[in-house]
Amino acid sequence: MDLIWDGVTEALRLIFTGNGYVYEVTFTSLLVSGSATVIALVVGLSIASFLAFRAPPGRTLALSAFNAGMALPPVAVGLLVSIMLWRTGPLGQLHLLYSRTAIVIAQAVIATPVVAALSTAALQGLNPNLRLQVLALGASRWQAALLLFREARLSLLAAAMAGFGAAISEVGATIMVGGNSKGSTRTLTSAIVLEVQQGEFETAIALSFILLAVILSIITLFTVLQQRRPPA
Amino acid sequence: MACPLASLTVLLISLAFLASSCGGDNNELILGATTSIQDPGLLDEIVRAFEGVTDYHLKPSVGGSAEVLEKARRGELDVIMTHSPADEDKFIADSEGLDKRPVMQNLFIVAGPDADPAGVRDAGSMSEAFKRISATQRTFISRGDQSGTHMRELSIWAELSITPQGQSWYQESSTGQGQNLIVASDKDAYTLVDSSTFTVFEKRIGLRALVPDTEKPNVYSVIRVASDKHQNVNATGAIAFAEFITSPAGQCVIADFGTQEYGKSLFEPAGRCPSANVGR
Repeated sequence: MDLIWDGVTEALRLIFTGNGYVYEVTFTSLLVSGSATVIALVVGLSIASFLAFRAPPGRTLALSAFNAGMALPPVAVGLLVSIMLWRTGPLGQLHLLYSRTAIVIAQAVIATPVVAALSTAALQGLNPNLRLQVLALGASRWQAALLLFREARLSLLAAAMAGFGAAISEVGATIMVGGNSKGSTRTLTSAIVLEVQQGEFETAIALSFILLAVILSIITLFTVLQQRRPPA
Repeated sequence: MACPLASLTVLLISLAFLASSCGGDNNELILGATTSIQDPGLLDEIVRAFEGVTDYHLKPSVGGSAEVLEKARRGELDVIMTHSPADEDKFIADSEGLDKRPVMQNLFIVAGPDADPAGVRDAGSMSEAFKRISATQRTFISRGDQSGTHMRELSIWAELSITPQGQSWYQESSTGQGQNLIVASDKDAYTLVDSSTFTVFEKRIGLRALVPDTEKPNVYSVIRVASDKHQNVNATGAIAFAEFITSPAGQCVIADFGTQEYGKSLFEPAGRCPSANVGR
């Protein structure tokens, strides 16, 4: 238990003494997981809109796939993305393996089904007549979609938070496709793994608390946004 | 359909943008290295030092010796640093790699509880120590992951014609070197470990270094991946790295590593570091 307390004090010390390494890995984490979340939102919301509004044939099957995708094992995603990005793989000529972009791709693959599945449920929860009514009143498809997104924003923001959470807390795929290289692909989570492997448990716990603090701050921001009263 | 199609376009454009900004990296050089080089922090130092004197972007790909050699066989790596001599020789015999040069070394040691219930302290050799552990059926923790350390351990059992797998006292941790040591410490068990990892973890564990293997040091070598077999291999970059790591500049990075924190070099450089007052 002493170790945890020491970890908290160490975390505070690292944050307030402006430790360059800690700021660097925190920045990397926010950059890659932020980008992955944005991609997951764009793709996930598109899928959700299509499934919820268009009700294509085989929707239940597709939904089952995305719902199952929420439990996509990160290590399997890491392996598959690695093989795709290998020099001998189909995307090898892009030279993306062991770069931040590779981590963004892997995390986006992990976060997209989460966003897609939860958003579809959110949009399906709306009154189906609402969309018809809005379209009948002369709204374009885009205007209708935006209005419906606003209606469902509580659940959609929850989906965004879940997607971000899946991305920033991920480590297996991150190390596999990123290589855990200091100064470029070392994130908060992969730094924690390395500290544990070095037996630096105190620093590992300190970094864990910093990661938790970062997640808490971002999610609080989202939650404030979510709970704000809609403009009348 | 407008919404998904438009978003897909946006996605593709942004991916293409990402690819163009980060990809097309002709200066990339992929170094395959073992966990035992990364775990103590040496790999970070090597990357920093090498990128400081060249234009190459050195990307480490870290795993056990088996993983590194297999990736190299697939042409995914340019140059490797491993410590599994038999596998390395086979790798070169298969014309997959060339120009093997020793970089650094440490010692394998049998670590175990201070009380030493198997009485290996005065065994004098690795095989005698292993023999005593199996004879007294004391718990032995194996890496079990085809790493260089694991291969070495298996070769000692093989010399003794002992098959430890499946015995109640033999357990495989399937973890990295440091974690394996912690597992062994928690179970008050014996294990095979390299001296660098042991130094790093010494203060945190309840095990003692009981038998050092001074006869056969644990040698890390650099090998260039054969570029005639794999067209994508960065041959010039691989030469640059092999030259650097075996040069006095590279050897000094190794000789200096650990001196501040542990009062001694964690790895002994194979060659000369003129400015070092430690090492050899």
